[in-house]
Amino acid sequence: MNETGKTGLVCDERCLLHDTGDHHPESASRLRAVYAWLKESGLAAQLVPIEAQPANQRWIEAVHNIHYIRKFEDACLYGLPDFEHTDNVICRDSYDAALLSAGGVLEAVDAVVSGRLDRVFCALRPPGHHAERDKSMGFCYFNNVAIAARYLQLQHGIEKVAIIDFDVHHGNGIQHIFEEDPTVLYCSLHEHPSFAWPGTGRDFEEGKGEGEGFTFNVPVLPGRGDKEYRKAVEMRIKPKVKAFQPEFLLVAMGFDAHADDLMADIQLTAEGFDFLSRTVVELAECCTGGRVISVLEGGYNPLTLPRLVESHLRILAGLEK
Amino acid sequence: MFVRDKMVTELVVVSPQDTILGTRRLMIEKQIRHMPVVEDGRLVGIVTDRDIRDAMPSLLFEEGVEPEVCKEIAEHIISDIMTPDPITISVVHTLQDALLIMYHKKVGAFPVVDEEGHLLGIIAIRDILKAFINLLNIEEPGTLLCVVVEEKPGQMKKVVDVITEENISLGSVLVARYWDEDHRALFPYLLTCNVATVKRKLMDLGFELIEPMDMLLDQVPVNEKE
Repeated sequence: MNETGKTGLVCDERCLLHDTGDHHPESASRLRAVYAWLKESGLAAQLVPIEAQPANQRWIEAVHNIHYIRKFEDACLYGLPDFEHTDNVICRDSYDAALLSAGGVLEAVDAVVSGRLDRVFCALRPPGHHAERDKSMGFCYFNNVAIAARYLQLQHGIEKVAIIDFDVHHGNGIQHIFEEDPTVLYCSLHEHPSFAWPGTGRDFEEGKGEGEGFTFNVPVLPGRGDKEYRKAVEMRIKPKVKAFQPEFLLVAMGFDAHADDLMADIQLTAEGFDFLSRTVVELAECCTGGRVISVLEGGYNPLTLPRLVESHLRILAGLEK
Repeated sequence: MFVRDKMVTELVVVSPQDTILGTRRLMIEKQIRHMPVVEDGRLVGIVTDRDIRDAMPSLLFEEGVEPEVCKEIAEHIISDIMTPDPITISVVHTLQDALLIMYHKKVGAFPVVDEEGHLLGIIAIRDILKAFINLLNIEEPGTLLCVVVEEKPGQMKKVVDVITEENISLGSVLVARYWDEDHRALFPYLLTCNVATVKRKLMDLGFELIEPMDMLLDQVPVNEKE
């Protein structure tokens, strides 16, 4: 089991400077509510705090095209209202926040690979899993989890990385970045793409070339909830991850499959999320010696998100009430 | 959306005197399932991969095919197995026409001809599917809503107004034919992931939002009789 003092939390107030306006779902207030609740509930004090550092551009470039990186930086510097799509609202600080959001995950990687910590949750924004190599999508600019996977391989010599994506939307960016790569397994559980954005993640998308078989999508029909998720995890996701025998586990942890989240139509309850969190711990214990990094993606209801994050963290840290 | 715009015009054709074996090789090489048969520039028939297969000995007996059989197949020509005077379509037919004729006549492709019967192109089910994929916009990232509206004028406008207020682009809009007498279901496909506000506004206006799956599974007769 997890020792006390071996679970970390990456928070950084500077991520709140990425200002998308009060009416945008991916607003600073959602993360602010999470920070406030983790503090108020006393949980933050029980975890090892980690501060983000801006990611070195070298690691961003391990995933993203340099022209895309510069284009995004320029858009922020010029003060453009959005980037590439009206969904992607930006401000002058968005580029720096995106570097911190990616960099915070890399700090988590260093802490876990060095053995200082076993598990880390990264409560940062902007999120990342929709960001393509050369395109921003769905409030995402730099693909934080994909960058971390490449960093694990290039900086720390870890060969096989499994990424599990529980966000209700398919992580098109992560899939496309690794779809030809057999060293990174991408498993995603999400609302069926005929109904939910971004329209990818159908079960016949299984990777390409050498990467065939290392992309694994489990779409769930709208209106379904805990029961279907439980079944999909037990029957499909767990066996797939275990068979891959990863050396490291990354989780793209969205909380937008919750029933009270209007961004999609999956009806997961808090208990359903606890099951997902326990799955993360179980797979880490089973495959990677307990090592896992979970990274915040979506989750847009400010009333439910803080407690869902708290519960996820408690289960990661072995501090269940 | 006319046949003219979606038909394939780089044609591979055979003549009625061509051999079956040569045509088979050509169809495999070019990955063609429907081969127009042309004589003096005019369409005289069509031959499909199924016609070719029917003319060949069974794979199961491959070892045992007698040399005489092989010789006999080699002597046959396309006019022996083609469908003469196939159903054709003109360039000014619409894709909807093509879709309906394909469905009702149970054919997979049409030669496109002019009034004198000259072959201009061919259009297959796959070309039409591609057009409808574009029409539905389902390769663009988007979110499908299902809004139940009363069967009276002006409902669509209210829904579209909310979408417009939120500055969201529409990928497509479908209206379902099957619903109870007083209601219809609108399926706006929104080119955004940011749908929380638009959903809330529609609910505030009194529209019912339902799971698209409920609609598809419960209301649409699965085995609709022709």
